[in-house]
Amino acid sequence: MLQEFRYAAPKSRSQLLELVAEYGARAKVLAGGTDLLVNIRSGMVKPELVIDLKRVEGATGVHWAPSVGLTLGPATTINDLLRDSRVRQDFPLLAVCAHDLASYQIRNRATVIGNVVNASPCSDMAPALLCLGARAELSSVRGTRTVSFSEFFTGVKKTVLAVDEVVERIVIPAASAGTRGEYKKLKRITGHDLGIVGVAVARKDGALQVGVSSAAPVPVLVTGLSDKNTVDEVVAAVLAAVSPISDIRCTKEYRLFMVETFVRRLWEETK
Amino acid sequence: MSKITVTVNGKVYTREVADQQNLLHFLREDLGLTGTKEGCGAGECGACTVFFDGRTVNACMVLAVEADGRSVETIEGEAQDGKLSVIQEAFHRHHAVQCGFCTSGMILSTRELLHSNPQPSVEDIQDGLEGNFCRCTGYQQIIEAVLDASGQSVKKGELKHA
Repeated sequence: MLQEFRYAAPKSRSQLLELVAEYGARAKVLAGGTDLLVNIRSGMVKPELVIDLKRVEGATGVHWAPSVGLTLGPATTINDLLRDSRVRQDFPLLAVCAHDLASYQIRNRATVIGNVVNASPCSDMAPALLCLGARAELSSVRGTRTVSFSEFFTGVKKTVLAVDEVVERIVIPAASAGTRGEYKKLKRITGHDLGIVGVAVARKDGALQVGVSSAAPVPVLVTGLSDKNTVDEVVAAVLAAVSPISDIRCTKEYRLFMVETFVRRLWEETK
Repeated sequence: MSKITVTVNGKVYTREVADQQNLLHFLREDLGLTGTKEGCGAGECGACTVFFDGRTVNACMVLAVEADGRSVETIEGEAQDGKLSVIQEAFHRHHAVQCGFCTSGMILSTRELLHSNPQPSVEDIQDGLEGNFCRCTGYQQIIEAVLDASGQSVKKGELKHA
């Protein structure tokens, strides 16, 4: 049995935003629950109210509009992404990162937005979203604002999200369709595990982006690179952008070594 | 407390549940369906795998109140009219059960895998069952059982550890 809390499942966007505004830090928003319910059970968070957003109209699905791009809702799961043929075809980096996230059952529940809102440095979706120039639409009773993922993360488990805001949508611009990319994630075991380091390399029209997880307080994006750069230049740019720590999973030196190794391999594989 | 109506293995139940109660404890303690097991309680081991609106989830990470108006299928719904399913028969035949604690989850994850991929390769099986831990068999017999359940021939002892 978890510690006591009350549960609310608003059906409309306005009810959701009003509840989040009213309860603020005393409430937690529930999407897939794969982090929240574990954290409640372990006593790490003690919400008075759990606000389930999955019954809000329009919260699910993967939507495409050529004028906007790819849009994901707050209840869009990792497996929703993997089952979407457009994602697999036009945004393969999203699919590769999604497939590396946890296990099958977890991917049926865990949401893309939950993965970024938790702002873990080892987020698997962050490197892909950063490389693809994705934006988050943040909504509250005060209105809606858009924040690029390169500005979304502010520290370990910290984001720009205000206490009365929810991430209502992720938009991946249509211009990123057709980006080629790959992701490599170092784990302690072959099965599902948290990443020790993760590196994504994306290429489109001569431009090259690198997204890195678990190698700094926030997921890192390295831009301004192109096909004209040598692999040594790409490695130098990435190593200058990361600042890993030593922790229970490995040392800082090993993380730096593996970031470089993965960048070199991915540079070759995505050529 | 909230009142929920949930369909479990085709049968409709209406119950009062505490808001913080998880689906796993609801199934086991309120409905007496103890075939679903609690292993880690944190979404790692897959012993509590059930179908939730047609997709496998870890029941330890779903609130019972979230199941209001939804459908749940557990291992108790696998055999029909006292007859084991094809997957259960294959697990039996290949001795893919030792202590049995992971078996309910393994069988439901296998059903989900074969639904989307009727002829999985060994790699597909490892991928599809990666969220289900077995601490007895070493997985070999389980993979053999899944190959067999999907109509693919397998010789006993042919598979090696990955």
